[in-house]
Amino acid sequence: MIKILIRYTILFVMTLLVLAALSFSLAYLFPGDVLVNLSGITPHNDAQRAALMRQFQLDEPYIFQFIHYVSELLQGNWGYSFVSGLPLREEIGIAMPATIELSAYALFIALVVGVPLGCFAGLRSYSKSDYIINSASMVSYSFPVFWLALVFILIFSLEMGIAPLSGRLSLLFDVPDKTGFILLDIILAKNIDSSLALGDALKHLILPTISIALISTASMIRLTRRSVIDVLNSPYIAAAESRGLSKSQIFFRHILRNALLPILPLMAIQITTLMTNAMIVETLFSWPGIGNWLIQAIYQRDYPALRIGMLAVATVVVSFTILIDLFNRFIDPSREKYERATV
Amino acid sequence: MPQYSLYQEESQPSPWQRTWEEFRASHIAFTGLIILTLFFFIALFAPIVAPYDPLQQNIDVLLVPPSWESNGTITHLFGTDALGRDVFSRIMVGCRVTFGSSILLVLIAMLIGVTVGTIAGMTSGVRSSVINHTLDALMAIPTLLIAIIIVAVLGSGLVNSMWAITLALIPQFIHHTRAFVRSEMKKEYILASRLDGATSKQLFFHSILPNMIEMLVVQGSLALSIAVIDISALGFLNLGAQPPLPELGVILADGLDVAYIAPWNTALPGLTIFLMVLAINIVGDGLRSALRKRLSH
Repeated sequence: MIKILIRYTILFVMTLLVLAALSFSLAYLFPGDVLVNLSGITPHNDAQRAALMRQFQLDEPYIFQFIHYVSELLQGNWGYSFVSGLPLREEIGIAMPATIELSAYALFIALVVGVPLGCFAGLRSYSKSDYIINSASMVSYSFPVFWLALVFILIFSLEMGIAPLSGRLSLLFDVPDKTGFILLDIILAKNIDSSLALGDALKHLILPTISIALISTASMIRLTRRSVIDVLNSPYIAAAESRGLSKSQIFFRHILRNALLPILPLMAIQITTLMTNAMIVETLFSWPGIGNWLIQAIYQRDYPALRIGMLAVATVVVSFTILIDLFNRFIDPSREKYERATV
Repeated sequence: MPQYSLYQEESQPSPWQRTWEEFRASHIAFTGLIILTLFFFIALFAPIVAPYDPLQQNIDVLLVPPSWESNGTITHLFGTDALGRDVFSRIMVGCRVTFGSSILLVLIAMLIGVTVGTIAGMTSGVRSSVINHTLDALMAIPTLLIAIIIVAVLGSGLVNSMWAITLALIPQFIHHTRAFVRSEMKKEYILASRLDGATSKQLFFHSILPNMIEMLVVQGSLALSIAVIDISALGFLNLGAQPPLPELGVILADGLDVAYIAPWNTALPGLTIFLMVLAINIVGDGLRSALRKRLSH
């Protein structure tokens, strides 16, 4: 147990170091001045430039520069944006929760809808209802997310006028930014009508969430269905049937648990797709998330922002992936054995 | 295949023939294959087949609706866009750009991924374990992020976006190849060849690679659908192919300006991407279930 924890911690730290090294080397790879790329401050005269050089230890060898860079990162000095001049840490602190919030709701929908539907289809495999669910998931899995979001905007926002076009919340509500998660912020806010604000926020949420969730749900259905069918063919299900257990007993005691086990590591891969889709959809709905922020940064060639944004997004995604992997290792020790045998 | 044969069979169908039989038995998969072949031919012969030059602008026919609408004309089957360019020709050439570059980058990613994956799978020890785990973790970085970084370093363009997607796809191939080579290396037939004195190179080319091709085809079809979506997404976000190059995502982004008065300019390219991805997914799915059925018989 402790051994696994140590191993995963080492893996996590190693990956973060690789990512930090990548983000550090970007300062050199990007066009323009290394000092400006690293700090986000354009020096006005030679004296200021020399001072900055000393502050970022750019006159030292690369390895010391990198060590200094990492220590600055850990202290929270992430540099400044070219465009807004604000500290990048603040900007990311606002943008990142918005994306995580959007992805979390989409993932929630994918789990709540996808797993039961997948189980249903798997249990009635190769019947008519399975056929319909499977085809529907195949179709919705093939939608390019940006086009789907456009179609939603065209139908629900422009034609029918049910859902708002862009943003997170109507400007009429003044919600102070505390956690960065809009629903939590509304509940925490003091002097507004929370139920009205919540309703408005949900209206803003629904289109982007559904356009991301549709694709994740489809892949969830397919994964669950395949896994359930595989479990159904295994000998212990036949054994359970021969012992005279009822269908629901077999399903809850034997099928569900064993079918969900192999899905978990695949979910780690799903998170990447989910984040990518969330980042694309954000730009269409002007959702103030990290995807929108990064795309704006690349349009304006805001190199310090890109350097840190890349590190932040990659760190979040990699942490989630490793956490899921670790969790999976704990609840499924058979996998650990296999790994130990091969490594 | 019939369970009992009256005649003594002279020839046993090869694994590939049996897979093909199983694949053909599914009508949906076969339809998907036909659509995919159609896309393939469009991609190959688009410049010859397309009725107009996709870049030619014509002020006389701005925003002509598609031919099935009451005021559309048959001379422009899918109508024209805001610059009077023929949408049908643009979509055809767009298929060539999107589909062709996707196939190319999947092949490159496969080549690199299989090479690295085989080396990782055949070696063992702490170093390979560290490399493997770090690669697995890096696999999680979204394509969009890699694309943004590459665009920032090298500038935007179709080739640069292709590199970004190739980079993002490589870890998957490495992962699957490594797992496959690992599990194969433990089997008896490998041990037998090894006892015969086969070198690792011979082992790979004569024993492992023939068995791996099926896995590669299935993984390749998955990667292809991801590549098509990603390349058009990057084109759409103005990070990949640049206008006026008719890439499907770029055509879609162009049509966005007139989406309200000329919805066919966004609907048709999007529908084409959707159909292309759907066909790839259906064929991939059919292939997987055909392989599964063959193995279970």
